[in-house]
Amino acid sequence: MKRYRFLVALAALMLILAACSDSGSDGDTTTTAADDGGSDSTTDSGGEGDGGTDSGESLLDTVRERGNIVCGVNETLPGFGIIDADGNFTGFDIDFCRVVAAAVLGDSEAVEYFPLTAEARFPALQSGEIDLMIRNTTWTALRDGQEGATFLHTTFYDGQGMMVPASTGFTTLEELADANICVLSGTTTELNLNAVFNARGIPFNPVVFEDNTQLRPAYEEGNCEAWTSDASQLAAFKASIEEEGGEDQFIMAEIFSKEPLGPVVRDGDSDWAQAVDWAVMSTIQAWEFGIDSSNVDGFESEDPNIQNFLGAGTDAAAGLGLSDDFAVNAISQVGNYKEIYDANIVPIGLSLEGSPNDLWTNGGLQYVPPYR
Amino acid sequence: MTATQERREVARPPFWRDIRVLRVVLQIVAVAAVFFLFRWFYINLVDSFDRLGIALNFDFLTSRTGFAIPYDANFQSDSPVWQMYLVGIKNTFLAGFCGIIIASIVGLIVGVSRLSDNWLVARLATLYVEIFRNIPPLVIIIFFGFALFFFGPFPIFADSWEIAIAGNNLLILNKDRWGIPGVAQTGDLLLFWIILGVGIVVTFVIWRWRTRVFDTTGEPHHRVVWSLLVFLGFFLVAFFAAGAPFEMSWPALSENRRIFVGGFAFNWGFISLTLALGLYTASHIGEIIRGSILAVATGQSEAANALALSSFQRYRFVVLPQALRIALPPTINQYLNLIKNTSLGVAVGYAEVTALTRTSIGNGRPTFQSIIILMAVYLTFSLVVSLILNIVNRRLALVER
Repeated sequence: MKRYRFLVALAALMLILAACSDSGSDGDTTTTAADDGGSDSTTDSGGEGDGGTDSGESLLDTVRERGNIVCGVNETLPGFGIIDADGNFTGFDIDFCRVVAAAVLGDSEAVEYFPLTAEARFPALQSGEIDLMIRNTTWTALRDGQEGATFLHTTFYDGQGMMVPASTGFTTLEELADANICVLSGTTTELNLNAVFNARGIPFNPVVFEDNTQLRPAYEEGNCEAWTSDASQLAAFKASIEEEGGEDQFIMAEIFSKEPLGPVVRDGDSDWAQAVDWAVMSTIQAWEFGIDSSNVDGFESEDPNIQNFLGAGTDAAAGLGLSDDFAVNAISQVGNYKEIYDANIVPIGLSLEGSPNDLWTNGGLQYVPPYR
Repeated sequence: MTATQERREVARPPFWRDIRVLRVVLQIVAVAAVFFLFRWFYINLVDSFDRLGIALNFDFLTSRTGFAIPYDANFQSDSPVWQMYLVGIKNTFLAGFCGIIIASIVGLIVGVSRLSDNWLVARLATLYVEIFRNIPPLVIIIFFGFALFFFGPFPIFADSWEIAIAGNNLLILNKDRWGIPGVAQTGDLLLFWIILGVGIVVTFVIWRWRTRVFDTTGEPHHRVVWSLLVFLGFFLVAFFAAGAPFEMSWPALSENRRIFVGGFAFNWGFISLTLALGLYTASHIGEIIRGSILAVATGQSEAANALALSSFQRYRFVVLPQALRIALPPTINQYLNLIKNTSLGVAVGYAEVTALTRTSIGNGRPTFQSIIILMAVYLTFSLVVSLILNIVNRRLALVER
């Protein structure tokens, strides 16, 4: 009798496997595939795998059905993404996750934060564990091409800098010959450190860490003479170290790379990419229009662009897969770009005025397409 | 006659209950199940990669690495990725090898100490085992990395402690690296190695000869003294015949006091990792040794006592040779564990193969292929080690009569 039971179990297993490998649906797409009733003629081309990026089903619909957005973030970077004393995620990148949730779902709190290390972020995106990644990630050709990622509107224009204890008196990279330099592994900073130092013929020794919680004590205890990272991160840690009674820090004037940081989604789902892109850009447009969270309700204007933006004019947002009032939701629940910047980046010691992140009308780089 | 034959045929069960048929069928079903499972995995993978537009090949191995390897000044960031893997494999091997040596020596001492008649020694050994065996190796590694180096007593690089005799540094200690004396090549080593090679063979012959003399005549063999003297003689001849092709190299700080010139340097990641894994594994090996000693029949110890052997002689000549043979198979497992645990070196920034693979994945190399290579590396390491030790074990195993 035992053998019968075993055979039956084995046969059942075989049937399940056969069904899975042939019908072309599994995991979290199963329910949606069933809803479609198999009417989609291209199911054989790519229904297998993760979150429904095949022709019929956009992540945008999946997210709406699920009712929340899984956002890959940093949890150890003050100003951009960190867990505060109350256990909440806060920061510049976190606020943009909330902007997307407010625009797509109408609720800025409908976000599930997924903390990621630098190395784990792209595999998490590729595998469909996260819907969206806003994790101080630099847009590069290699990543855009080989990681199966689509980079959207840059939210923060950054550049690589070098920090040393102020007591050393170092002001140029040349003074760091043969020195130990702390850097996070799997970052563009790591590659760029090599490129810059090799190009100038400065020998150095990288000391590599997985995240800032390990790197910081190594730097503070003198294991490395310098710390290289995005200038914004260095500013954040400079403020944090000095605030906690550590040594005074000095960030060298030289910025030696371009680091455009912004949201990233998977390749091959333009509906979702568009929705996220316009949600993020709405904060910059609102800033340009002078709309912020305090005056967005009942904002009056004769400008048709503003009327479009607030969902009152022609239905400009219809084809984007977003509701008419997506911008209103994003601005009223989170704020415009300047508000987000002032709340998160200004406290770590980087002012908005005169930086590349200022509006194009003020000489900065933040410029978004018009709402017509 | 016919009656019995008929009865036999009637007694034969239907094929779905015939054990001879079922055996074969079940094997086929099992193979098919495994095949289809992996086929499903593979199709799923290829489909996902196609959809994301990620290539599924190993071309990236010849592309430029792009980043420097910590504490490896010889590696250029322009080198291809496969060279990065070689450096990683070398570092993994170094950590594993040194860890195994530490674990074996400390493990043997702890194992014997636990059975000591001396109350203090036995208790200290027990304390050691209980502490190290019950803490995860990763925690021990991080403890060494942070407590010994980050927050430890050592000075920063520029203020390194230099322990010197007659103007030559014997030891340089700082938060980052420890320097010891090494040798530096100054001439052609070929002749030196040829003569030394002959020397090693002759030494081995001498060793066998003294052993045979002892076995046949019972004269004291003194084979260690004999062999050492012969080897030393050959070494000196080789050294001078080749025109002194190398010299002692003493560790010293460079002019800007940021790197070592000369000598041999260990970095903090290597020391933390090797020490932590060595001591952790030693607690397990100690228990294996203790169990193996207890497994040697008490009659053996009693016989040694009856022959008035000293405690040391009893262990050296009677108990340990038997106990170590019993201990070898489970110790192989511990060695393999140690090698696999070197992958935890990523926690202290040690550039072993896992850490480098992860860095290279983070820098845009394909995840799937990189992990496949990583698995192949560890599999090879483990198989080679267990092959070697199994051969040793087969030659040494106790012959049960």
